[in-house]
Parts: sequence; structure tokens; C-alpha cells
Amino acid sequence: MPPNSAGGAIVVPPATGLAVRAKVGLVRAWPFLPAGLMLALLFLVPMAVMVVFSLWRTTPDFDIVPDWTLDNYAYFFNTPTYVRTLLKTLIMAAAVTAAGIAAAFPFAYFLVRYVSPRWQRAVLLAVIVPFWTSYLLRAYAWQAILGPKGALNQLLTGIGVTDEPSRLFIYDNPGVWLVLVYVYFPFAALAIYASLEKFDFTQLNAAQDLGARPDQALLHILLPQVRPGLITACIFVFIPILGEFLTPALVGGTEGLLIANLIVNFFRGLQYTTMAAFCFIIAALVTVLLVIFRRYLQVEDVVART
Amino acid sequence: MTWSDHYIAEQLDEIKKTAKISTNITELADNADGFAKLKEVKGQLDVISGDALWVPKYFEEGLIDAWDINSLEVAKQLYSIAREFTIWTKPEGYLGYPFGWSPILITYNPKYVSPAPDSWQALLDPKYKGKIVTENQPVEVVAYMAKAAGIKDPYNMSEAELAQAKELLLRLKPNVLKLAQQNTDTVAALVSEEAWIATSNLGTEDRVKDGGGPEVISFIPKEGTIGWMDAEMIVKEGKNKALIRPFLELAEQAEWIAQNFIDYGRPLFNEKAYQILVDKGEKERADRYFYNKPETVQTMTLKGPGLSTQGAINVFNEVFGA
Repeated sequence: MPPNSAGGAIVVPPATGLAVRAKVGLVRAWPFLPAGLMLALLFLVPMAVMVVFSLWRTTPDFDIVPDWTLDNYAYFFNTPTYVRTLLKTLIMAAAVTAAGIAAAFPFAYFLVRYVSPRWQRAVLLAVIVPFWTSYLLRAYAWQAILGPKGALNQLLTGIGVTDEPSRLFIYDNPGVWLVLVYVYFPFAALAIYASLEKFDFTQLNAAQDLGARPDQALLHILLPQVRPGLITACIFVFIPILGEFLTPALVGGTEGLLIANLIVNFFRGLQYTTMAAFCFIIAALVTVLLVIFRRYLQVEDVVART
Repeated sequence: MTWSDHYIAEQLDEIKKTAKISTNITELADNADGFAKLKEVKGQLDVISGDALWVPKYFEEGLIDAWDINSLEVAKQLYSIAREFTIWTKPEGYLGYPFGWSPILITYNPKYVSPAPDSWQALLDPKYKGKIVTENQPVEVVAYMAKAAGIKDPYNMSEAELAQAKELLLRLKPNVLKLAQQNTDTVAALVSEEAWIATSNLGTEDRVKDGGGPEVISFIPKEGTIGWMDAEMIVKEGKNKALIRPFLELAEQAEWIAQNFIDYGRPLFNEKAYQILVDKGEKERADRYFYNKPETVQTMTLKGPGLSTQGAINVFNEVFGA
């Protein structure tokens, strides 16, 4: 309770105090109103519609009828293909995230620590340049690079590594993994860079002066402090891959399809209720993952530090 | 709302200039896409294109008008068969203005594929492992397998028939190099000789040749094939309905249709345009593409929404998923 000028306490009636707090709360909250409205209109309402659809049924005539049922969910969990494909998607997302961070961390570390700020900007620009062309074009370009008559195979046969063009790089899971690492590398690099940029590298020298080996200094001093950037990188890479459709469709052949590729087929066949249930399962999974991130990795640090 | 190969920019400019009818075209991805969108936007569209059995589906849903096709002068340019398709005839009138058609063919590279195949079974031959390209269209691919299994109605299959189709799809999977997103992917795979066999539309031989690829051969499988024929439909609640028939009178004139064939290469229903093509020295190509044989349409299983759509998608996903 704030003191008054005479050193006593101002007694605010409880109702007035509540009103003041509510008013202050409102004043503070209004900047969030546009985002809140957008979130509600473009996310929560469609999600609610999707949930309702997922509990209805599509007739053979493609009409959606409000017969409440869990059949769409039961179909997903009772069909091993879908469960397997979802697991495969999770593994792919984890593998891409791991590779993306493994490539982005040393890149960002080197950039922040050893490159002048002017050149840092130039290099970061180079990292985001691919965003200036469409994702579709980039995926098609990879088809040309990795294909049997693509640049990579020509190089390998040219230098005598292989006798004939290899199919290892395309129309299977490795090709999907490689292209996804390429596509999501900038997200990981930028998130980690933003975190490393704020790190005071003299702490590493101090740790070593106090007897820590370089790897210990890295593990116990650097990593805990850039954890928010790493978590952000994980979120930016892992979660979008759960909905990846284009890259598996273009470079995955018949072996590299992910769960979104199967879901799209329901859309093409006007099976909206099944599609809604499958989408909701993915959305629920993403929510669970975010809760895990928040609970065990203190994702709020991302807001505080980056 | 229509497919990009249904019009030519100069044609629309000319109509705008002469009849003061402007067009605002939305690209149609596929039949299901058009059907779903029209159900949502209704009167915001005036004309929509659709394939074969989708056309009566639109009518049954109350989305399009039936009308007297013979009230259009330009309709006299059509092959008579095109004005009398029973699936498009209702007591209230005809359901659309017939535009084009094509059977689904199998195209193969004779350098690698021998003896010359004549059946859907060629797609299942283990010696073509990883050498086949087919479209990323689940319902259609399952329909091809149904044809291979000798199933009569690939869009309205029973559980037992779906199981038969699934069995063949499981044999097809290892042979498939990739599921093509669009026809250009199929052509590219044949040009680079990554693929030796593909399911394709008419004209693939020419497109492969034009792309610098090898000589390829197309054929209609002996078990019969799937095909499409499309029409322009008049939207029931369209706000510019009075302009549609004058628009069709101009847009469907033989000169434009002949040019459309030259540009896009598949048979169309305008008979007068065929004569123009003959006069222009395009007879060989037109005949090779069955332009002069519109009755072929009646031998195809027409694409359309069927009762086994969900079953077909389930089968496709269960085979091509992990």
C-alpha cells in the first residue's frame, strides 16, 4: 500500500481498488487487442470449426452431416499406416531439427565471434536471400540438383565416385531430409544468431582462466545462456515440418511422403470431416509439444532474452 | 472459374472489345476444388467448368442451370453427339456447353519397354521397378488399378472391389518413381528417361519430343480406360447470367477452338474447328489425338464423383503411407 505524504497509508476501498486495477489492466492490454482479435478470428474460430467438423460425418455424396461421432479419430488410430506415418514425420522433424541446429550453431558462433559487424550483416543477408524466391521454385531446383541427371550426380560421376547416377539423393527419405534442412536452416541460424549476439564471450575466457576446459566452458557457460535461441530454433524448425507437404511431394517419391501428404488427399476427395480429425490430431500434438517446451525448457526465456 | 487451357488471352480481349463483356477468371485446380468453392461462393461465379459426371452432380446440388443448348447458334458447330450426352441431358435442358475431352493413356519409351505393352498390367511388371510416373491423384490412380483388375465401375466400388484394387496398388507402388504433381512433371521424367512408363493425357508424345526427349508411344489399354470430357456450366445464382450466352456465342467460335487445339493439343467438341485444323495442315495431329472420333468418349469410363471416393482415398493412403 503506497504511503501518503504525511507518512500514513491511503486506504482504498476494495471495490475502487479493483476498478483501478481493471482499468490499468485494460490500458496495458489494449496493444494486444489487434493481435488477440486476429488470434481469435484466424486461429481459435477456425480451430473450433475444425473440431466440430472432425466430429461429424461426410456422406458418399460429399455432404457434411452433423452426426456426432468419433469414427474419424478411431480411423486414424486404428489404421497402422497413419500412426506409422505420423511417427515417421516426427522422426523426420527431429532429424531435420538436429541437423539444422548442428549446422546453424557453429555458423552463428563463428559469425558472431569472428566476423566484423559489417560482414555479419552481409552474411545474414545471404542467409535470407533464398526467401526472395518462392518455396516451390526452390523445391523444384532441388529436384534438378538431386535428380539422376542433376548437378550432384554429374559431379559424382564426373570425379569417378560413382559409375552411374545414384537414386540415393532423390525420391526417398534422404532427399526430403536434405531439402528440409536447406529450407529450415535460415530459421535456425537466425534464432541462434540473435541469441549468441547478446552473449558476452569474455565469460568463456574467464571460465578458462578459472580452470575450465574449452568444452566445459562451452557446455556450462555458453549453452545455458543461449538456450532460448536454441529452443526458438527447435520450435521454428520442428513444428512447421509436421505440416510439410511440398518438399515430400516433389522430392520424396513414393517413399518420402509425410503425414500432411496423406491428409491433403482427403481434401482433394472432399472428405473434410476425416481431414479435420487428422489435422486436429496434428494440432493437438503441436500443442502438447509446445507445452513440453514451455514446461521443461522455460520457453518464456525466449521472450526475456531474444 | 475454369482451367487455364480453356481460353486464350487474345480471345478474351477480343470479346471485351467487340461485345463489351469482360471476364475475371479464377483458375480451377480440379473438380473437387471447383465443386467445394462454388458451394461456398455461389452467385459470385457466373460460369464454372467441370468434368463428365461432376456436371450432373452440380445440377443435383442445385448449383447450375439446365438450359436449351440449341438456343445457341454456335452450338451448331458442335459434333451432334456432344449435344446429346445422356449424362448431361435432363428434362429441364442440357447441363453445360461441351468443350473438350481426353482419354487417360499409358505412354512408354520403346527403348526400354518391350515387348510393346497393351494393358494396365504393364504398370505392375516388376521389371519396371522405379521407372513409372503416375499422377498424384489418389482416386484416379486407384481407378487405374480397378481397370487393371477388370472392375466395371472404378468410382463406385464395393469393399471387395476396393480390396482387389488395393492389392494391385501394392504391386504398383515399388514401380512408381514419383507421383507427378502436374503433367509437366510427367513430361520431364520421360524426357530425362528417369521414367520409362507414365500414365498421361493425350499429346504427351509431342510434349516429350518438344522437350528434347526420346520417341515415346501412347496407347489405350485393352481393358478400357478412364477419361474426361468437360463442359462450361451456367451458375444458377450467377449475377451476370444475361451475359453468359452472348459470351459463349463468341468464345466457342470454331476459330478460337481451332487455335485452342493448336495451343493445347487435345480433342475438342467443335466439329467446324476440325475443318479449320484440316485446312491449316493440322489433320495428322488432330486425327492422332482422336479429334475426328468424338464417339470414343462413349468407350471411356468417365471421371466423376463416386460413392467409393472415401474408400479409394483410404486405399491410396494405406498403400503410399509409411
